[in-house]
Amino acid sequence: MTQYVLAAVLGVLFALGTFLVLRRDVVRVVWGVTIISQSANVYLVTMGGLSGSVPILGHGGHGGEHAVTDPLVQALVLTAIVIGFGTTAFALVLTYRVYEEHGTIDLLELGDSA
Amino acid sequence: MSQQFVVAPLLVAMLTAIATLVTRRFDRVQVTLSLLGGLGYLGAVAWLVSKVDPLGATEVFSYQLSGWQAPFGITLVADSLSAFMLAFSAVVALAALVFSASYVDTYGQRVSYHPLFHFMLVGVTGSFLTGDIFNLFVWFEVMLMSSYVLVVFYSGPEHTRAALHYVVLNLVGSAVMLLAIGGLYATTGTLNMADLSRRVANPAAYGLADGGIAPVLGLSALLFAVFALKAGLAPFQFWVPAAYRAAPAPVSAMLAGVVKKVGVYAIIRVYFTVFGAAALSGVSLPGFAVPDDGSALLAFYGPILFVMAAASIIVGGVGAVGRDDIDGLLAYSSIGQVGFIVLPLAIAATAPTEEIRVLGVAAALVYALNHGFAKSLLFMASGAVYDAVGSEQFPDLGGLTETAPWLSGGFFVGALALIGIPPLSGFFGKMLVFDAAGRVESWLALGVALFGAILTIAYFSRAWTRGFWGDPPLLVQHGEAKFSLVAVVVALALAIAVLGVGFDVVMRAAEAGAHAALDRQEYVEAVLGNGGGHA
Repeated sequence: MTQYVLAAVLGVLFALGTFLVLRRDVVRVVWGVTIISQSANVYLVTMGGLSGSVPILGHGGHGGEHAVTDPLVQALVLTAIVIGFGTTAFALVLTYRVYEEHGTIDLLELGDSA
Repeated sequence: MSQQFVVAPLLVAMLTAIATLVTRRFDRVQVTLSLLGGLGYLGAVAWLVSKVDPLGATEVFSYQLSGWQAPFGITLVADSLSAFMLAFSAVVALAALVFSASYVDTYGQRVSYHPLFHFMLVGVTGSFLTGDIFNLFVWFEVMLMSSYVLVVFYSGPEHTRAALHYVVLNLVGSAVMLLAIGGLYATTGTLNMADLSRRVANPAAYGLADGGIAPVLGLSALLFAVFALKAGLAPFQFWVPAAYRAAPAPVSAMLAGVVKKVGVYAIIRVYFTVFGAAALSGVSLPGFAVPDDGSALLAFYGPILFVMAAASIIVGGVGAVGRDDIDGLLAYSSIGQVGFIVLPLAIAATAPTEEIRVLGVAAALVYALNHGFAKSLLFMASGAVYDAVGSEQFPDLGGLTETAPWLSGGFFVGALALIGIPPLSGFFGKMLVFDAAGRVESWLALGVALFGAILTIAYFSRAWTRGFWGDPPLLVQHGEAKFSLVAVVVALALAIAVLGVGFDVVMRAAEAGAHAALDRQEYVEAVLGNGGGHA
């Protein structure tokens, strides 16, 4: 059951992220990118398999068929989250800078000011 | 395994980045440290190259971080392929650093130009050395984070807009890369490239699901889009011109000369070494035949690579002919030149014999080296022109041969190298591309390469006549090119000439690199230990 719920949630998140990335407002684009990368993180967790016991408690089950939930993907996700923090912060600062330079965060108007 | 020298370039670059960050308030100290760091980096790379590739017997070295054995820990791998890429990157990086020392003003230095530059170098080095596909993602991010800031360095209207596109595009690319890597981990159960290569070569033995190669093919194609984005291949090239124009000249030189090559390197490493081992069966693709031999997954990429390379050559070349500023012309030209690098890879991917396969990859490597040198030289020459004249728009320029003969000479050599005039290194690059295309009798590839070569001549002669010949306008007459900037340009021009004259060594290194890329067995053994470690 969990699998279906997660799959649906992931799909909705990706759709939402894509929708926002295609907006004209730069802040929404940044939101969209953030949501997409967060849903990529959630997806990464599911790639370790959802069945099995807690990774640490069920230690020692290497190689077994889904004996434990794979702890590696959680390490990967931690790394990806940290990187995501940095890039999101930078993207937001950049958005502010774009507003300062152009007086607008509308992508169409940005294009026109070329 | 105690082969710690593999990590040396990475450590040098990282320590320099930290040292320059700490000494940010002391301008002179910072520049000195930065230059020393650049020299040290070159030294560390030279040390690594001398170990890996002492002309003759080449070896693959792996360094298991913290002694965690290969499939479980993170591995750094140095073989002839990564050594080749590192070697020319180190030279270009040092040249760009010397150039930056007088090109970037004190204020620019205070806003962390040098630390960013070195962190970018850390990312590049890590990408070349890593033997782990998730780590590749991490190093990409390290490299990109610094390059984001360097692109927006001047933070004017043009620059913020260019950076915005560059950042958003690469963030989406990173998310896609994460998806592909996660999927690969779920299907194959490993992230180590050597282990991955071993598993896709023999899917049944490692318990990959029935027909487990089909999802690997799809996921690797997803990953491929990300690498193509980094390399600026058409149809992912649209961020290139704005970003290269916005960045400071030495940074554009690094972006075009080195960072782009990381994408190319990733394509060679991941598709030739890792996925090249996979045989494809039960997958039929409409439109072209999938041969039923050992490297069918690789053959799938042949037509894709070819179409992308051809499109890049044409889009880049045609775009460059119409530009009105040097940087724009160089940026479009760099799209076209990456096409030239990938074209022989496309031939290698579908090549019928091992010999042609080696030739194709070697041609790509030689061309990458030539483009690394020549394009960074040209971007720096353009920077020196801007520094002297205050503009790099063709209508404002002209007659630079009179006011700045050495600078013009350097630009000329760079242009000739890209056009492919002997005895410069570019001639051999082009010759090898034609040779590879001729051997497989691909008239289409020959035609595209020829068309691209003619376009190259067209836009460089246009740049030359409009920017460097004729009567110098007032602006040019009063501008004086800084000696140190011109010196770097001339030094790189000499390097290109020397590489062309002593081409034997380059060719041997490129061939060793190509062998390393294609010799999966050796790679796997070096990383996982003899016998392949755990089954």
